[in-house]
Amino acid sequence: MKKFSLLFLLLGFLLVMAACSDDASNDAEGEVGGEITVWVHPYTGDAEKEEEMWNTIVKRFQEDHDAEVNIEVIPWANRDQKILTALAANNGPDVFYAIPDQMPQYANEGMLLELDPYLEDFDLSDFVDTALVSTKWQDKTYGLPILQEAYTFFYNKEVIEAIGEDPENLPATWEDFEAWAEKAKEQGFYATTFQGGGSMNGTLYPYLWQAGGEVLTQDDEVLINNEAGVEAFSFINKMYENGWIPEDSITAMEHDAIWNSGKMLAVLGSGISLTNMQSSGEIDFIIGPPLQNKEQVTYGTVGMFVIPSNTDNPATAAEFVKVLTNADNQRTFNEVTQYIPTRESAKDIFEEQPYLAQLASYTQYALPGVIHPKGRDIMPMIQAELQTMMEGKKTPQEAADSAAEAIEGAVGQ
Amino acid sequence: MTLKKNNQNLYKKNNKLPFKERFRKNAIVYLFLFPILIHFAIFQVFPFLFSFVLTFMDWKIIGNHEWVGLKHWMHFFQDKLAWKALWNTFMFSVYYIIPTMALGLILALIINSGVRFAGFFKGIFFLPVVTSFVIIAGLWGWLFRGTESGLINWIIAFFGIDPQLFLADSSQALLVLAGLSIFKVAGSTMIYYFAGLQSIPKELYEAAKIDGASKSKIFWKITFPLLKPIHFYVAIITTIGSFQIFDSAYLLTGGGPNYATTTIVFYLYQQGFTNLNLSYAAVLSYALFFIILIVSLIQRKYIGKDTAIY
Repeated sequence: MKKFSLLFLLLGFLLVMAACSDDASNDAEGEVGGEITVWVHPYTGDAEKEEEMWNTIVKRFQEDHDAEVNIEVIPWANRDQKILTALAANNGPDVFYAIPDQMPQYANEGMLLELDPYLEDFDLSDFVDTALVSTKWQDKTYGLPILQEAYTFFYNKEVIEAIGEDPENLPATWEDFEAWAEKAKEQGFYATTFQGGGSMNGTLYPYLWQAGGEVLTQDDEVLINNEAGVEAFSFINKMYENGWIPEDSITAMEHDAIWNSGKMLAVLGSGISLTNMQSSGEIDFIIGPPLQNKEQVTYGTVGMFVIPSNTDNPATAAEFVKVLTNADNQRTFNEVTQYIPTRESAKDIFEEQPYLAQLASYTQYALPGVIHPKGRDIMPMIQAELQTMMEGKKTPQEAADSAAEAIEGAVGQ
Repeated sequence: MTLKKNNQNLYKKNNKLPFKERFRKNAIVYLFLFPILIHFAIFQVFPFLFSFVLTFMDWKIIGNHEWVGLKHWMHFFQDKLAWKALWNTFMFSVYYIIPTMALGLILALIINSGVRFAGFFKGIFFLPVVTSFVIIAGLWGWLFRGTESGLINWIIAFFGIDPQLFLADSSQALLVLAGLSIFKVAGSTMIYYFAGLQSIPKELYEAAKIDGASKSKIFWKITFPLLKPIHFYVAIITTIGSFQIFDSAYLLTGGGPNYATTTIVFYLYQQGFTNLNLSYAAVLSYALFFIILIVSLIQRKYIGKDTAIY
């Protein structure tokens, strides 16, 4: 047994050494060619249609480039773990799909290839500005966006009529919305949803941005408890205290049942909500613009393709990302997946779909969240303070201050 | 006592054959054992040791890893949230272990009592165990919805009780989650207890009846003490299970409100896979390992002693 344990120790030691020694190479030179592996996800339920879509996109790439492209569809579940383990084992893809809060975290760890050297003669002006925000960390570009979303209010027309308002004249400001919310409450409806157990992107952040605030800058400056921040905290507190949002909003993960039973005036939704509502057909809805207080802003995620820094074939990978996000391929991709293209010129695919065209017109207001390596870490901290405030144990000012303190602690770590 | 010791020494001496002979005698065992040991070494021993190494490093997924000594361990002792998570986990065990054991035993007594359709009830009681946790959690969340339209709120309204926030209330959320786990797991503890009940010799009950013992006396003097090995086993597995509680918080509360349901494994998951702080997550997992080890040792000392029937 002694011998065995010695063997295990040796084995362990060797593996540690091997894992420690794989340095990331970062070569900006190189010819396009060879073979690359691209990790994508199932963006719809229709695997066949998606396979066709990827074949089309790869064929377009191969018209001008002599390279092999392997598309691998990775299920969404535990995608972070899968990517991390593959990259750690130096066995990962050459291109993979990333979302905004993942990018700076990975980039800051040195896991992503900087794309600027490959984009010198590349025209980015067709891209929607808010979509490019999510691809940059510390003024360096790490990805090119392919899809975008914009969250805005979907109103229940029957409820609008019940409270005696005009569906043609939807709320544009906080003030307008507050007036509607109060009327809805009087008639026994909830004004809107608030998923306090979910991501801050769907709860605090949009209101905070609308108030003209910011959570955390890329230079580590914490702004969540400035005047605008406290205004957003207060607004949420007011919504909860007045019963405009459901009683369980503190930890709720969804309010679908309430919305679907017609007891809610408005719900914050995006393209997926649209698809669901259209397919169920239960609620007669109308889409309103993102609200404005000081600024008209909302949340909308961005999907981008990035390249790990340990790829063997950076030149081909970068070229593929550029081709993949060109206008033609964005049309193909977003026609199938029903997301919104990040290039203005590709938005013409929604000419005959008025709802999607309307949502597409709002992506210019849609920020992709807090772009910071600690963007994910700080969410539970802010969430806890928001919950404490809603439970009535802290004032908005105290909650915002405690959140700021917690963020400073996390950033300073 | 000395006799016993001598016997043991004798036994030890007799067993000590020369290595060669012993090997020849047991070669076939080693042959079968070898693949399992390899598997065990790669998938159990190596990760176990490697995660210990991780605790002394700032582990970057790609690139250079830094040795930071005891930094993460020091941080653990000052990390209020980690201690809160441990406390939550402890409270969860308090809410969960005894009720699960009690409910499992009661259910086992029901199906063992010769009631009609015992097999049917066994199936019903066992159903939550085989149903996916996500489904059960979804149902639980729906029952305990914190609005007036929640089913439990609707029921308690008949008794004049105001609607409760349940998962949205920091003083109730952990209890509701414990309730979910009890509901989910009691079926399997029932099976263990049922097996235990079946193994108690019938003669003991007959003798007790002849002596005129009452039903409750029979239970407390015969059934309950003779189930001791089962109590031990069930206590250990429910304790370990309670310390590893994660999915219900992940699915229903996201650790809230205000960290009230952030358990140690939930916190560990957040640190490791959301914040990519794998080294600190390894520290937390070692803390959890030591706690489970100590608790199991204590349990073994107090309730794990062999129970001789006669």
